[in-house]
Amino acid sequence: MRKTIVVVLMMWLAACSGPDRETPVDDAIALRSRMATAPDPGFERATTPRPFTFPRDHGPHPTFATEWWYLTGNLVADDGHRFGYQLTLFRIGLKPGQSVDDSAWRTHQVYMGHLAVSDIDAGRQHSAERLSRAAVGLAGAQAQPLRVWLGAWSISGGTETFPLQVEAGHDDIGIRLRIGRGDRPLVLQGDHGLSRKGDAAGNASYYYSLTRLPSDGRIQIGGNTYRVAGQSWLDREWSTSALAPDQAGWDWFALQLDDGRDLMFYRMRGRDGLAQPFSSGTLVAADGHATPLSLADVDARPLRYWQAHDGVRYPVEWQVKVAAQGLDLRVSAAFDAQEMRHTVRYWEGAVTVTGSQRGVGYLELAGYAD
Amino acid sequence: MRLPIPKLLFLAGLRHLLRQRSQALLALTGVTLGVAVVLAIDLANQSAREAFADSAAALRGTATHRLVGATGTLPQQLYVDLFRQPGHPPMAPVISARVVLDGIPGRPQLVGLDLFAERGFRTTLERAVDTGLSASDWLTTPGAVVVSTGAAARLGVDVGGTLTLRRRGTAQTLQVAALYPDHRLATRDLLIVDIATAQAITGLDGRLSHIDLILDDAARHWFDARLPPGVSLVDARREIDGITGMSAAFELNLTAMSLLALLVGMFLIFNAMSFTVVQRRNVLGRLRALGVTASQLQVQVLTEALVLALLGTLLGALLGLWLGQGLTAIVASTISSLYYEVTVDGVHIAAGSLVKAAVLGTGGTLLAVLAPARRAAATPPLTTLSRSALEASAARLVGSTAAFGALLATGGLLLALRVPGGVVLGFAGLFALLLGAAMATPQALQGVRRLLHLLPLPRTARMAVRDTGRHLSRLATASAALMVALAASLGVAVMIDSMRSSVDAWLGDLLAADLYVAARDDQDHAPLPPALTRLAAELPQTAAISRYRSVHVAMGGRPLRVVAAELAAPSRRGFRLLDDDGDSWARFDDGGVLVSEPLAHRTGVGTGGTLTLPTPDGPQAFRVAAVFQDYASEHGRVFMPLADYRRLWHDPDVDTLALFARAGDVAALHAAAVAQLSEVDDLIITAAAEIRTESLRIFDRTFRITEVLRYLLLLVAVIGILSALMAIQLDRRREYAVLRALGMTRAQISRLILAQSGLLGLVAGLAAVPTGLLAAWVLTDVIQLRAFGWSMRFVASPGPLLLTVMLGVLAALAAGLYPAWRSAREDPAPQLREEA
Repeated sequence: MRKTIVVVLMMWLAACSGPDRETPVDDAIALRSRMATAPDPGFERATTPRPFTFPRDHGPHPTFATEWWYLTGNLVADDGHRFGYQLTLFRIGLKPGQSVDDSAWRTHQVYMGHLAVSDIDAGRQHSAERLSRAAVGLAGAQAQPLRVWLGAWSISGGTETFPLQVEAGHDDIGIRLRIGRGDRPLVLQGDHGLSRKGDAAGNASYYYSLTRLPSDGRIQIGGNTYRVAGQSWLDREWSTSALAPDQAGWDWFALQLDDGRDLMFYRMRGRDGLAQPFSSGTLVAADGHATPLSLADVDARPLRYWQAHDGVRYPVEWQVKVAAQGLDLRVSAAFDAQEMRHTVRYWEGAVTVTGSQRGVGYLELAGYAD
Repeated sequence: MRLPIPKLLFLAGLRHLLRQRSQALLALTGVTLGVAVVLAIDLANQSAREAFADSAAALRGTATHRLVGATGTLPQQLYVDLFRQPGHPPMAPVISARVVLDGIPGRPQLVGLDLFAERGFRTTLERAVDTGLSASDWLTTPGAVVVSTGAAARLGVDVGGTLTLRRRGTAQTLQVAALYPDHRLATRDLLIVDIATAQAITGLDGRLSHIDLILDDAARHWFDARLPPGVSLVDARREIDGITGMSAAFELNLTAMSLLALLVGMFLIFNAMSFTVVQRRNVLGRLRALGVTASQLQVQVLTEALVLALLGTLLGALLGLWLGQGLTAIVASTISSLYYEVTVDGVHIAAGSLVKAAVLGTGGTLLAVLAPARRAAATPPLTTLSRSALEASAARLVGSTAAFGALLATGGLLLALRVPGGVVLGFAGLFALLLGAAMATPQALQGVRRLLHLLPLPRTARMAVRDTGRHLSRLATASAALMVALAASLGVAVMIDSMRSSVDAWLGDLLAADLYVAARDDQDHAPLPPALTRLAAELPQTAAISRYRSVHVAMGGRPLRVVAAELAAPSRRGFRLLDDDGDSWARFDDGGVLVSEPLAHRTGVGTGGTLTLPTPDGPQAFRVAAVFQDYASEHGRVFMPLADYRRLWHDPDVDTLALFARAGDVAALHAAAVAQLSEVDDLIITAAAEIRTESLRIFDRTFRITEVLRYLLLLVAVIGILSALMAIQLDRRREYAVLRALGMTRAQISRLILAQSGLLGLVAGLAAVPTGLLAAWVLTDVIQLRAFGWSMRFVASPGPLLLTVMLGVLAALAAGLYPAWRSAREDPAPQLREEA
């Protein structure tokens, strides 16, 4: 449910006029409110539930405008050092259909990557962004065997897809992980994988998650390399939809609880700051049984805000209640300064869960920097 | 009322300046002109440099280094491979080419960039996005182009407008997707397109022109083990400036003219200011007699000089700025005709130029009056009053000054010719030579005067000759200043003549064939169709044929041209081999290479040595078969056998054919070539004579600015001398009054003055001839050789020599006209009364 990031990026790519702007980043954010236009009708849209076929659906769906492979996880080093990581590869279709065949560099596909490593014990987050066209081999994706890459950043699998090899680095940070399949079944979010985001038909995405993937490998920060292990979470989503004009952003939770349950919940936030009806989530039991959650089932309220240097405030501590499931959780940032400031500005970071259950997870706060 | 001495002195000085308005004005003119000429030439040079620096910076962005290929392009896979390696430094792929647009003069540069790689390199596309470019359309629309607002104005297009690009007969349309705000000259020549569009247009399938990099010291080593053979890492600044920068020859010319202007300016100021002190010996002497101390007097003289200097510098700066604008326009038009279209928005006023002019104006002025002021202050009061004593001491000084000058000039010459070193040392020697010669000029004046004394001259002339000796203190500096201007101008003229005649002769030899055939293409050295060579050789009118393939490689961070050639015998005779032992061509056929003189000079690799060149398979050592004289490139050229090139570069193409006509019938060959070869491809078929004419036209254009500067310098010098002479003659009105009273007629007085001026000019002109020739020798044999490795035939035709002497005499005569007219008309009585 990281649509806005891509929407914002697309708006930058499609930026049209407007004075007194300073950088493309600013442009993108400033334009967001004005650009809730209908997507190019040439793209396919998610209107009805569809059958998912694997491993094919692990690969790209270029007939849709946007798509992402979203990995997050909490990892612990041999010496107890704790880390969070995020690696996201976004695919953005600039236009539907095939590009003109005048040069190998010509393409309609662009990839954007975000990498972040949160050194929880040191209280420092390191992050980087990459962008490239998907041409001449610079970036791209394929289903069999799975391979999604952007330069040296890659998520790749064998004939069985899992385990995945994940590699990414920038300057003095780097991750190199082996991500296993685990035993948790794949979760189709929303209505059999059709996740609605708004009233209009087609304002929806196809969305599935793998919520608990055993991971191990190495994390490098500066001159130090740590052997790490833990659990990752993979979100896969593709769509051709836009935010409604009255939508400001969302708060997204991916929590792995110590009792074996996994909670995903996104809270669509209106311009008035209130949660909107299209907010939804899923609670996955230890045996893999998935229970859909609606806005009525979940009571999420911010408890504490962290303020960035320039005054932008993010709610980094929450109370999340799912009364029907007996959950009353306190979700707190592992440390506050986990803001991503790249082409798009948002907060995404490792969290710890206390309260009726303990656990770890990832929290994403988008649309606060407008 | 008792006034304190300093105030009294100040008033006396002020009164002097006001009373002798014309003299003060003339001194002021000298300072003003000196400052103006230095500033103007400096500004023009600076503006030219800025224009080039701008274009280099616009192209380079923030790149520090570049990856370039041995054949001028790189496989794009290299970029992809590097991009997919962890930890690669910032990289931006570029495809660029000069293109031809319908209805647009010149060859604008098409630059293909990757939007996503541009971060940190160039802001061009980012700024275009800011002003409304849809990046999505930009990436997906073939032919979308972004230009600067400056370029849009030049090309006459706006957003949505189209440009038609021609390439080998086919037209392609570019549509302006957006403008970015930039009026810099450099951007007016740039067409920014997506790298996909650039690749489609240039036909560089699978290849890039180069890869821009931003590297620090650590990152440089990242490439150490990662570059395939044939790819080099070069310094971007050197690489790009080497290609787009003004030719170093052009730059050197401007520098030389700047220095010569400085020297002439110094002399003008020295002349004008030292005269104001000499002229006032009486007043100063009386003040001494009245009890003013030596140091008070010295301070007083210097203060007055300072007032003049400041005023002169100010006026000179204003005049210099105005003149500089005109000169800059001329420089810009030269650049436009030689390199690419530029127009000058304004003069780049560099702080350095202003400081230089100010230091020259004030410092030079004070320096000029320092010695005379000390002399005036130090001598006892009574002696100060006596002119004859002053002249006697001046006459004594002439000999020792000349001896010192001769020593200085010799030292300068030796420094330039004998001491190995760079261009700077050469210029230092040249400077010393001119300065020394100037110091020796008064002695020359004495010598000529004594010589003339022996001749049976008319009475007035004889009187003029003798009288000159009695006014040495005043006339010596004026003649020296004129001499320096004449010598500098002559030196540059002879240097250009020498270069031109060398280049002409070299072209004549090199263009041995009758007809040259190349593809009509927006790229230089575009390949010819393979069938063409056979067709050309089979023409019944063809007696022999030479084939060439030219590629650009980087060696030591500098661009270098490798020309692979299969040469017919007469083509070989066109090479001027240096120190040829008769076996040079045998060594060439045996896999050796011919190295151009500039390259040999720069690398120190001569005949029998080894030269290592980057090839697609990695560095390869070549034996140097011979060194040949070459003015084609200051960076250097290497000729190698075509067969060796094909083997090492894996490139079967040929880009130029040279045809020799059977029985010398060039017209028949030309007709046959046009008729039969043009069917195969769009070709340029040119007769050797045309190429030679065109080359010389370019040469002349390059040096047009030097010519203009030379004449400007001369004009300013003449005006300066004119004012100096006028001041001297006006100062002598009383003497003329005495002569009138003694019975000389008006006509005789006029003749006396004119004869004296003419003598002065003659001496300056005569002294300028050997000095100018020596200066030219230093410029051609030392400075050009050191700067470019060009050895040249020294050619001094009598024309410029004669002109120099005539100019000297004419300038001096012109300067004498007004004083002659005025002194002759003046009523002697008031002057005589004053004398009493």
